[in-house]
Amino acid sequence: MFENLDLSDRGVFLTATTLYGLAAALGLYGILRPKPYPRIGVLPLVAVAFLIQTLALNLRGTVVGGCPLGNPYEVSQFIAWSAALLYFIVGPACRLRLLGFFTAASAATLGLIAALLPAWDYPYTTGRFGGEPWIELHAALAIFSYGVLAILALVSAMFLLQQHGLKHKRHQGIYALLPSVQQLDTIASRLLLTGTICLSAALIFGALFWFENPDRVPVFKLSMTGIVGFGYLLVLLLRLRQQLVTRRHAYATILLFILALLSLWPVQSARHPGSPQAQPDLQQNP
Amino acid sequence: MSHAHPQSLFVLGCSHHETPLEVRERFTLSPERIPALLQALQQCSNLSESLVLATCNRFEIYAHARNEKALPDIREILCQTLEVETALLNAHAYRLQNLNAIQHAFSLAAGLDSQILGETEILGQMKQALAIAQEFENTGPVLNRLFEKSFQSAKIVRTQTGIDKGQISIGNIAADLAKRIFGKLHKNRVLLIGSGEVGQRTAQALKNRGVHDLTVSNRTAENAQALAQTLEARELPFQELTQSLHQFDTIISSTAAPGHILSREDFQTAQRTRPARPFFLIDLAMPRDLDPALDSLENCYLYNLDDLAAIANENLARRSDECQPARTLLNTQAWQLWLQLRRRALMPAD
Repeated sequence: MFENLDLSDRGVFLTATTLYGLAAALGLYGILRPKPYPRIGVLPLVAVAFLIQTLALNLRGTVVGGCPLGNPYEVSQFIAWSAALLYFIVGPACRLRLLGFFTAASAATLGLIAALLPAWDYPYTTGRFGGEPWIELHAALAIFSYGVLAILALVSAMFLLQQHGLKHKRHQGIYALLPSVQQLDTIASRLLLTGTICLSAALIFGALFWFENPDRVPVFKLSMTGIVGFGYLLVLLLRLRQQLVTRRHAYATILLFILALLSLWPVQSARHPGSPQAQPDLQQNP
Repeated sequence: MSHAHPQSLFVLGCSHHETPLEVRERFTLSPERIPALLQALQQCSNLSESLVLATCNRFEIYAHARNEKALPDIREILCQTLEVETALLNAHAYRLQNLNAIQHAFSLAAGLDSQILGETEILGQMKQALAIAQEFENTGPVLNRLFEKSFQSAKIVRTQTGIDKGQISIGNIAADLAKRIFGKLHKNRVLLIGSGEVGQRTAQALKNRGVHDLTVSNRTAENAQALAQTLEARELPFQELTQSLHQFDTIISSTAAPGHILSREDFQTAQRTRPARPFFLIDLAMPRDLDPALDSLENCYLYNLDDLAAIANENLARRSDECQPARTLLNTQAWQLWLQLRRRALMPAD
């Protein structure tokens, strides 16, 4: 779609990251000033950043000949993109005005880390999924579920913040702008269900591929994704049985998401033991 | 105080700022007597327009004078109507003229001159005073414009500053906290224990914010019945209190009991049937009705009188910080009106 444009995808990614950063700064300014939180401002900036990030992913996808999920840099960008997409669905539906600020701040942080670590964007063999539609679906679903789980972690952080304010009798500033603890808890439980379903579906598609090609899937990657998937299933089960609720539920979802993020690096390393120097530059494989 | 200029706008009155309560009581005018005062003012040939504002904290007459004899005439009419001595009126009444009178009306409408800074009740009282004066045809282009512009300026100030931000009444603070815990309150189940006045006001504030399901419980059955009728609530026998806690989300306790009436264990038991739903506990009793250890319970939010008063004081301090920006804004608006009135040759150019 944008193949004729003379653009560097890293430059476009950086533009999107800058815009996310600006949206986060605007949101922070809205929280800190005594006047009411601005209804407009953060949303349009996140929307523009999201569109630019979509363009960047499209540019990278065109070059690699598939969904750009081949290295941690691309995965980070895809997670930030998924979280922003989810924000447009969850934010207005649940009237979570501060979610825009949190999403923008997370996307900016993720984008900045990815930009500051050039080693993450190592070359890999393009068309790596070998034209396997199920694996493409597995990867896309897995990363989309990470977006859902990222929003879940943000909602959980908002819950903990609001609960801290209520318990410590704080009521000014950010506490006055956050949604109610009950609303945040309800949204968190719905996001957990959605995220776990998406992640489980991704794992099922991945498992089907693994059954047919056991030698092509590293055991370490399988174990890590299995642990993360099992973790979310366990939290969901405990939540449905009302054994893990409110604060402990929030902590569990945040910790699990950190684990999920941390697992990305070893998963990528397992897939590319020789990276970054082992594979030909992806720019040479249009 | 400057002398009244021919054809000038002025306000004569007394308020809680300068006048003690026992004097203000003598200046009180019941709503039924206001029409008679307005008619007396209308018959005064030295006045072209007049308006009476009588609230619990102030008594003011706004007038547009044709000449300098208007003021003595108003004093005489007022003393006759209120049956007070001229010396008392002169000792306690203030008079503001032209631009100062406009600035005063603007400050008043914005709640800057109110006993509770930033309150909005005065705006309604000013609107009512204008409506009554218009009904008796006492107002004209100057006072109509003054009051309409006051209302507009009040709206601007409330939008652009934080003068009315943050609740300062216990009931409204509790209602705001309930919204931070539950979000919408229409499905919130509220239990009021005891018949303390602050407790009743808090329950009423919650009802005003959308609570439909209100239950009252009192050690004395007759009191519970009377309270249930007043608040249009259901009754819960006091002896069933502990085993019914799980049915409620917000519990307001305001009894005269000498010790704690509900313990941490009572709520721990209640939470087992609803672990995901929070409890909002408002303890308005002195000594306290609810065990302070409840605050350490997960998903239990306990607020006592001191906590609520601290929030009220903090909000009040924040409102005070907004006073200066609000006054600056109002003075600009007042100056614009003053220039408009002068341009229209309705006011003197002194």
